[in-house]
Amino acid sequence: MTDFSRRAVLAGGAALLATPGLAQPRWPARPVQLLCPWAAGGGTDAVLRMIGILLEKELGQPFNVVNRTGGSGVVGHAAISQAQPDGYTLGMITAEICMLHWQGLTEITYRNYTPLSLVNNDAPGVTVNSNSPYRDVKALADAIKASRPGQLKASGTGQGGIWHLALAGWLNAMGLKADHVRWVPSNGAAPAMQDLAAGGLDFTTCSIPEARAMLDANRARALAVMAPARVTAFPAIPTLKEAMGVDYNTGAWRGIAGPPGLPAAVVQTMEVALDKVFKSKEYQDFLLARGFGAVYENAAGFATHLAAADISLGNSMKEAGLAKS
Amino acid sequence: MQLSDRITGLFLAGLGLAAAWGGSRLPAVPGQDVGPAAFPMVIGGGLVLCGVMIAFGIGHSFEVPDEDAETGFRFRDLRVLVPPGLLLFYVLAVERLGFMLTAFFIVGTAAVALGARPRLALPLAVGAPIFIHAVFAKLLRVPLADGILPALW
Amino acid sequence: MQDLFEGVRLVLAWDVLIAVLASAIYGLVVGSLPGLSATMATALLVPVTFYLSPIAAIATIITASAMAIFSGDIPGCLLRIPGTPASAAYTDEAYAMTRKGQAELALGAGLWFSAIGGIVGTISLVLMAPLLAEMALSFSTYEYFWLAFLGLMCATLVARSSPIKAIASMLLGLLFACIGMENPAGTPRFVFGITDLLGGIEPIPALVGVFAVSEVMRAMVTPEPPKLPDRKFGSILAGQWALTKKYQWPMWRGNIVGIIIGVLPGAGADMAAWVSYAMSKKWSKEPEKFGTGHVEGLVEAGASNNASLASGWVPALLFGIPGDTITAIAIGVLYMKGLNPGPTLFTERASSMYALYIIFVLANIIMIPLGILMIRLASKILKAPRSAVMPVIILLCAVGSYATGANLFSVLLVGVFGIVGYVMERNGYPVAALVLGIVMGSMVEQNFVTSLIKSDGSPLPFVERPVSAVLASLTLGALLWSAVVWVFNRARRLKATAAAR
Repeated sequence: MTDFSRRAVLAGGAALLATPGLAQPRWPARPVQLLCPWAAGGGTDAVLRMIGILLEKELGQPFNVVNRTGGSGVVGHAAISQAQPDGYTLGMITAEICMLHWQGLTEITYRNYTPLSLVNNDAPGVTVNSNSPYRDVKALADAIKASRPGQLKASGTGQGGIWHLALAGWLNAMGLKADHVRWVPSNGAAPAMQDLAAGGLDFTTCSIPEARAMLDANRARALAVMAPARVTAFPAIPTLKEAMGVDYNTGAWRGIAGPPGLPAAVVQTMEVALDKVFKSKEYQDFLLARGFGAVYENAAGFATHLAAADISLGNSMKEAGLAKS
Repeated sequence: MQLSDRITGLFLAGLGLAAAWGGSRLPAVPGQDVGPAAFPMVIGGGLVLCGVMIAFGIGHSFEVPDEDAETGFRFRDLRVLVPPGLLLFYVLAVERLGFMLTAFFIVGTAAVALGARPRLALPLAVGAPIFIHAVFAKLLRVPLADGILPALW
Repeated sequence: MQDLFEGVRLVLAWDVLIAVLASAIYGLVVGSLPGLSATMATALLVPVTFYLSPIAAIATIITASAMAIFSGDIPGCLLRIPGTPASAAYTDEAYAMTRKGQAELALGAGLWFSAIGGIVGTISLVLMAPLLAEMALSFSTYEYFWLAFLGLMCATLVARSSPIKAIASMLLGLLFACIGMENPAGTPRFVFGITDLLGGIEPIPALVGVFAVSEVMRAMVTPEPPKLPDRKFGSILAGQWALTKKYQWPMWRGNIVGIIIGVLPGAGADMAAWVSYAMSKKWSKEPEKFGTGHVEGLVEAGASNNASLASGWVPALLFGIPGDTITAIAIGVLYMKGLNPGPTLFTERASSMYALYIIFVLANIIMIPLGILMIRLASKILKAPRSAVMPVIILLCAVGSYATGANLFSVLLVGVFGIVGYVMERNGYPVAALVLGIVMGSMVEQNFVTSLIKSDGSPLPFVERPVSAVLASLTLGALLWSAVVWVFNRARRLKATAAAR
C-alpha cells in the first residue's frame, strides 16, 4: 500500500516536471462532448458517432455525441460556436453553416469556428420513380426544358436546404431559372423518397446514400450524380457531365470544428487523431458500408474549403433568390 | 388559479387574434404560393372561435365538476409556484454551483415545502442527487456540471 | 425451413442472448425515468453495437426500444407522468385506476396487452410485410394530411371535459407547434429573437411539464391523500386472461389499427395509441366509465401501441424509410452490419430475417417476467410518503429534460409548461389534448402545405386519389356525425327542460 502510494506520488511529480509552463493537465483529461446539429438516426449523427468511438480509442477519453437539433441546424451550430473554448465541447459542422447566414437566419458564419478537419462529402443525385418515363438524365432534362415553369415538382429536403440549392444550381447550369421546377419542401430526405415512391413527385435531388434503399428495392432509379467523378460505392451511376455534358457539382460536406480560440494543444492533438481516424480501416469500412463519400482535409485545408464553399453557396443562393438581400 | 370560463375563453380568443395577426405579418417565400402565414392564421381563427364559445358557456354541460375545487385565495397557495421556481433555480445555478449542490437544494426545498420533517428531508436531499448523478452521468453519460463540489467518483 | 433453423441457431448464440437480457434491463430502467425517451435509450446503444455481432447488435435495439416503450407506462400509471407522447393518451385513465387502488391491474394490463400487441405485430411483419409495405408506399402527402386530421379529432374523444375546451387545448398545442422554423417555408415564427426557440417546442419537455411538474405543483396545495389500504395483490397476470376474453374484440381492433398506423412512416406509435383509445371509447358498451379508471381503453391502446412498434419496421426493412427516430437509428446499424435494408434482405439473407423475427417474439416474451419484476419494484413508490417522492420527481424532470440535448433551455421550458398545464387543468382544459396538438402540429402543416404546393393550390387531389378519398370521407363523416349527435342531444334536452317547466 505504502509502496503503491509512493510510486503514485513519484509518478505524479514526474508528470508535473514534464509539463512545461502551467500545470495544465494533458488534453483530454475528462470526457469530451461532441455536439451534433442534426437528429439521431440521420447521416450526420451516424458519421459523428463513428468518429466519436474512434476518437475515444485514439485519445483514451469518452467522446459523447449529444444531438442539439432544430431550426435547420441553427441551434446546434450556434451551440458549437458559443461553447467554452476549452476543448471539451466540439462538434460537427455541415454545409448549412455556409448557407444559413445568407438566408439571414443567424449571424454565425464559418469564421466563428476553429476548423479541425473535413471528414465526409455526399454528392446529390437525380432520382426518379422506377415507373417514371425518363430513362436517363438527358430525357428528364429535355422534359424540364419543355415544361412550363412550376409544372414539374422536385423535393429532397426543406426550403432553401442543400438539395434545393443543388436543384437550383443544376437548372442554372442548363440555362433555366432556378424556380423552373417547383420545390416541394420536405422534412428531410426520407419523406421525400417516400413521396417519390408514392407517385407524388417527379424527381428528387437528395444524396445517393439517402436514396439507396429505394434504389435497392427497385422503387426508384438514380439517373445521375452531381459529382466530379463517380461515387466509389455506386459505380453504375454516371455523373452529370458524362450523362448530359453539364458540368455542375456540389455536395453536403461534414467536418469537425470547435469554438473560436481553441488552445493550440487541442488543435494539434485533434488534427493528428482525426487524421488517424479518417485513415483507419473502421472509418473507411463504415463510409463504404453506408455509401458515404470519403473526402478529407486537415485543419488548414478545411479552413480553405469553408471559405470557398461560403462564396460558391452564397452565389448559388443569390441566383436562386434564396438569399436575403 | 381557478378562473371563470369567461376569462379563460376571452384570453384564448385574444391569443388567437394575436397569433393570426402575427402570422399574417410573416414574409412570403419566393417561389411558393403557400407561405408560413397560412397555418398560424387558421389556428388563430380556430382559437378565436373556441374562445368565444367557451366565454359564452357553450359545452359547459359536458364538464365533470372538480372534486377539490376550492374558492378564495390564501397566501399559502403561492407554494404552487415552488416547483417551477426550483426548475428556474436549476437553470440559473447549476453551471456555477455544480449538479450536487443544486440538486441538494432543490430536493431539500421541495421536501420541506411538502411538509417533510428534517429527519426525512435531509437524508433525501443528500441521497437522491448521488443516486441520480450515478445513473445519468455514469450510465447515460450525460455531462452534468461539476461546479464547486464535484462528484467523488 | 432450412433458413428458419439457421435463424434459431443465430439467436441461440450466447452473445445474442446476453445482449437481449442486458438491453432489456437497460430499456426498462431508462424508459421508466421521466423525460428520457425510448429514442435516447436507443441512441446511447449505438456505440455499444459496434462491438457486437450483427444479430446481437440489432437485438439490443429491438429489445431496448420495446422495453422502454412499455416501461414508459409505469411512471404514467403510478405518478401521472407519461414516459412517451403515445402513453399520454391513456395516462389519466391508468392514473385513475391507481387512485382506485388498482395500480397493479392497470400496469399488468399494460404489460400483457403490450406483449400481445408486439407479438401480433411481429406476425404481421412475417406474413404480410410486402403487402403492408405496398400500403405504406401508396400514402402521399394528401393521405397523410387526412390521417393527421383524423388523429387530431381524437382529442375531443379522450377528454372527460367539454369538447370545445378539448379542441381549444388542441389548437393551443398546434400553436405551440408553430414556434420555430421547422415549417415547410423554413421561416422563423414566434421566436421573439431567442435562438433556442428556432428549434421549436419538442414534445418531451412539454409532456414532462404539463404532466409531471403540474402534478408536483398540485401536490403543493392539496392535502396528502389518505394511504391506500395495504391490499395484497395476487398474481399480476391472474386477471389478465379474464380481461383478454372479456375484451377480445377491442384487443384485436387495437392490434389491427396499430399495425396499419405503425406501418406508415412518420405517423407511428404516437398516433396509434391515441386513435385506438378514442375508438375504444366510441364503440364501448360503457363509454361513460372512460376516464374514471376503466381498463377497457388500456387494453386496446396498449395492444395498438406495441403492434405499431413492430409493424413500423416494415418500411424500414424493405425501403430503408424510418418510421420514427428509433427505426432511423436501427437502419444505420443495419447498414453498418452489412444487413442492408431492401427486399433482398428477405430473400438472400432470409436466415438473418428469421433471426430478427425470433428476437422480436423473444423480446416480447421476456418482457412479461421482467416487466412483472419492474412493476413490483415500482409499486413500492406508492407506499412512500408524497413528500419523499415528489422532490425526486422534480429533480428528475430537470435532469431528464436536460439529458436529451444537454440544453438548459429545455429545463426552463419544462417549468413554463408546468405552469401552463397547472392553470389549464384547474380550469377544465385537458392537457393530453395539448400534447396531441404539439406532437401532430408539424405533420398536419407539413402535409397540408406541401400538398397544396404539389397541386398548384387546387384542393382536388385531396379527394381525388383513391386512398385520400376514403380517408376524407371517413374524416368528414366522423365530423358531421358528432355535430348531428350534439345538436340532437341538445334539442332533446331543451325539450325535456321545457316539458319539466
